[in-house]
Amino acid sequence: MNSTTITNAKERIEHIEDILSSVAAGDLDLRIESEFEDDLTGVEQAINLLIDDLTHELKKSLKLKQEMEEKLMKIQEQQKTILQQQEDLMELSSPVSKVWENILILPVIGTLDSQRTQIMMENLLQKIVTTGCTTAILDITGVPTVDTQVANHLLKTVTAARLLGAECIVSGISPAIAQTIVHLGINLSNILTKATLQDAMIYALRKNEQLINGKVVLNQIDTDEPK
Amino acid sequence: MIELVSDPGWELLEELNIETEFDIVKARQSVRQYAKDAGMGIVDQTRITTAVSELFRNMYMYAGGGVVRIQKGMYEGHPALVITCMDNGPGIDDITLAMQDGYTSGQGMGYGLPGAKRLVDDFVLQSEPGQGTSVRVAKWK
Amino acid sequence: MITNERRIPIIKIRDFLIVSIQVDMHDRLALQLQTQILEEIARTHARGVLIDISTLEMVDSFIGRVLSGMASMAAIMDAAVVIVGMQPAVAITLVELGLEMPGVETALNMELGMEMLEKRLESER
Repeated sequence: MNSTTITNAKERIEHIEDILSSVAAGDLDLRIESEFEDDLTGVEQAINLLIDDLTHELKKSLKLKQEMEEKLMKIQEQQKTILQQQEDLMELSSPVSKVWENILILPVIGTLDSQRTQIMMENLLQKIVTTGCTTAILDITGVPTVDTQVANHLLKTVTAARLLGAECIVSGISPAIAQTIVHLGINLSNILTKATLQDAMIYALRKNEQLINGKVVLNQIDTDEPK
Repeated sequence: MIELVSDPGWELLEELNIETEFDIVKARQSVRQYAKDAGMGIVDQTRITTAVSELFRNMYMYAGGGVVRIQKGMYEGHPALVITCMDNGPGIDDITLAMQDGYTSGQGMGYGLPGAKRLVDDFVLQSEPGQGTSVRVAKWK
Repeated sequence: MITNERRIPIIKIRDFLIVSIQVDMHDRLALQLQTQILEEIARTHARGVLIDISTLEMVDSFIGRVLSGMASMAAIMDAAVVIVGMQPAVAITLVELGLEMPGVETALNMELGMEMLEKRLESER
């Protein structure tokens, strides 16, 4: 009978068990050591190779994880910046300026969403009150499209301005926006619209009696003009 | 009175009774202060104050008064001011009709309920003829 | 904060009445003011009324209705009403409430309101 002989089988198997449990616990530097060469040696070597592979993979995944975390941090940073920039843009993109005695202009550029329109509306109304200007021109030449909500906000602004005691003129309505507004069934017949900013400006100057015989005058020097 | 269930996480800020016209003024001034404390902007403060003024007046005119509960807490994922108005009045027969612009059953001009709804972020109305009316409004920034 | 039965003063200057509402009015006070102003128009033959609401933090449907009602009533009595100094937040809220107050004249401040009334009076002369 030729049976397999394994030297110190019990001790060596215990050693394998020890190493494996250490590896499982995270200690990847350990390897199975044996001074014998017999049938168990192959198993021992195979386990060592396995631990080698495991170590390699683990290191790789750790590195990947680190990279991912770094990327995530970067993305979060970028998101913060984008949010900040959006806020800044929101404030920057609705500058209300007094262009002439009694006349304010709010040029709107870019796509309008409900929130931005709302902020713009509040800014414009506040500016009307602080400057005492009774004419405000809302120029939307630079706005590509509007939706129902935005159109309603614009309408609301004009009505609210009237309640304050100012007239709000909307200029620069593009063909696309005109189509949208009519298709949406929004009634703009109660608000004054002018084709271009120039037309709106001329209307405002005439209304304020600042445009006489094609010449623009300031109210203050109006009376000093020779006949 | 129809009890509207509160979220256990909400903090009760104040509970008031509406019995007279002065109570309407006092209660809406309270709501304004809480809206201010919650960090709401001037327009939102005005919106919520005006909305609750409509609700308080409805309670006073149609039910002879009622209870107002002012709470704050998370509402649909937003930190909000929640105001609940409950009365023992005659209730509303046709809620759909009452929520229509321009409809009124009394001396009002009928901007009360639909107008108030437009001024807040959430509006819940429960009413049963003979059991009273309860309205909850929530406003967040 | 809440005035009980104190009356809101009405001042007459030349052809006009000037009213400044500085308290959060309860409904009865608002109605009382409406009557009071109409009576003053009749008594003084005023041709216009300037109602300053610049310190009002809120105008709900009731007060809005009292104000626009007053304008219509005064118009029948041949006096023009101008609502002066409405706050932007109040204006936005009124519009959202659905109360656009058509037919009510408004002005940004007292001076502009006075100018409006004077121009109106001039054109009638």
